[in-house]
Amino acid sequence: MNSNALHHIGKAADLSAWREASIATILLVDDEPVTRAGMAARLTRLGYRVLEAENGREGLEVARRERPDLLIVDWVMPEMDGPTFCEAMRRDPLLKSSHILLMTAHDQPAQIAEGLARGADDFLSKAASKQEVTARVLAGLRTSRLVRELETTGSQLESSMRLLQTRQAEMETDLQSAANFVHSMLPAQGSLAQGISLAWEYQPALTLGGDLFGVAPIDAEHLGLYILDASGHGVAAALRSATLMTFLRVDNMLQLIGSYDPEKVLFEANRRFPLSDEGDYFTLWVGQLHVPTRSLSYASAGHHGVLLNPAEKPSRWLTRPSSPLGFNPASVFACDQLTLQPADRLFLLSDGIYEASSPTGEPWGRWRFQQAVETQKRSPLSATISHCFTEARRWQEQCEFLDDAAVVGLELAV
Amino acid sequence: METTAAINVSEALRRADGDQDFFLTLAGLFLEESSKEAAAARAALERQDRAELAAAAHKLKGSVMEMCAPRLFERTTRLEELGRRGEFAEASSVCADVEACLAEVHAALRELIARGFPS
Repeated sequence: MNSNALHHIGKAADLSAWREASIATILLVDDEPVTRAGMAARLTRLGYRVLEAENGREGLEVARRERPDLLIVDWVMPEMDGPTFCEAMRRDPLLKSSHILLMTAHDQPAQIAEGLARGADDFLSKAASKQEVTARVLAGLRTSRLVRELETTGSQLESSMRLLQTRQAEMETDLQSAANFVHSMLPAQGSLAQGISLAWEYQPALTLGGDLFGVAPIDAEHLGLYILDASGHGVAAALRSATLMTFLRVDNMLQLIGSYDPEKVLFEANRRFPLSDEGDYFTLWVGQLHVPTRSLSYASAGHHGVLLNPAEKPSRWLTRPSSPLGFNPASVFACDQLTLQPADRLFLLSDGIYEASSPTGEPWGRWRFQQAVETQKRSPLSATISHCFTEARRWQEQCEFLDDAAVVGLELAV
Repeated sequence: METTAAINVSEALRRADGDQDFFLTLAGLFLEESSKEAAAARAALERQDRAELAAAAHKLKGSVMEMCAPRLFERTTRLEELGRRGEFAEASSVCADVEACLAEVHAALRELIARGFPS
């Protein structure tokens, strides 16, 4: 007689247990037909969906196929006994978190310990009353449900984590690609024009920087130079900076305003780069050097990071009070002029270097930068710049800068 | 509810949640299966196969539990122990007890099936 035929008998289901059980599925693994039929009918009466298997091997197949919420497994069975079945379940990645009640007549502590050690979660006596069966099954199902929820949550978290890691990797690749592009737009170091050499060091706060600079020949006798600082840093600042950098290209300026006159460049930039809706803006210093006469004209829109470091005189900052770009479309940026001398150095620097703060919050400051530069007058230009970075890092007691750090140096030959 | 010599009817019915039809269906299944299990125990005993004797007795004990037959349960439990220990001389005697008790249980169940539960 097939014990499944007994299931119709379980009509008078316990309603409260039914509610608790919902559609929980229980797999019953027992080789003894009478015991199996009796337990199956009891569980069916309680409102559960009951699956049956006659031995451990068949039980594993059903468990893999049906993923039951709870398993009730007889201890003594031919071929594969209950503890061996539990071990096989725990080895299976799909089934290892299943909740297993080992059904047994054994009640010796050593045997219970063996059952637990080999993978059972709890025990159910074959002689158990209806109340005990109900209580143990409900407790097992509650645990099983919690484990399933944890597994689902864990699986979702893992899946989200993998997605995030993929996206992160894609974004980092894109950022690195963009950083490489921006880096390729920075001027080549070395000899710029006759008697003028260029060196720089640049460390963006993130992969992409918002502070950029440029030095390029305008014609046979003139060099154009600028340093810009976008408010904020990161991707958004870098994108805005790259736009302004493109705008400041010599060929673009010559086409738009017919020259690289700093005053006109700033006027045009101020008109075209208004304060953004988010309050983002630029500061910009622009210079034009007439190489044969060493005459430098320059103007600043809120940028205070250009230092003249003469060979024989004290250094001085080439700036005057002015607004950043975009604050007032009618702003005029007055142009100043000076004549450089042989061996003079000109440093263009971003605020990220002189605003580097010590652990107590004190900025390194422009005057410390000035001191660092003056003590290095006899060092090669690149060594002087490197020294400045070393001093700033020492001051802030960390290698990475919180904002983009850039120092550009021009040196006139003796 | 009466308690017959072979089975505790009231306990068996309580175990079946008071469902007489279910108990009688289970009893029919027991009549089929227990004979096979007892025969398997006898065969194992004749082969002096300790493991098979213990396994057959254990299996029979499980089904007897559903029928609430206390003497038969006690005898099968003893047979399982003797089988596990390989004490075949005593097991032979106990196996005969098991067969006799089983016959009584079968008779009681057949009567219940035929006449229904005493009121």
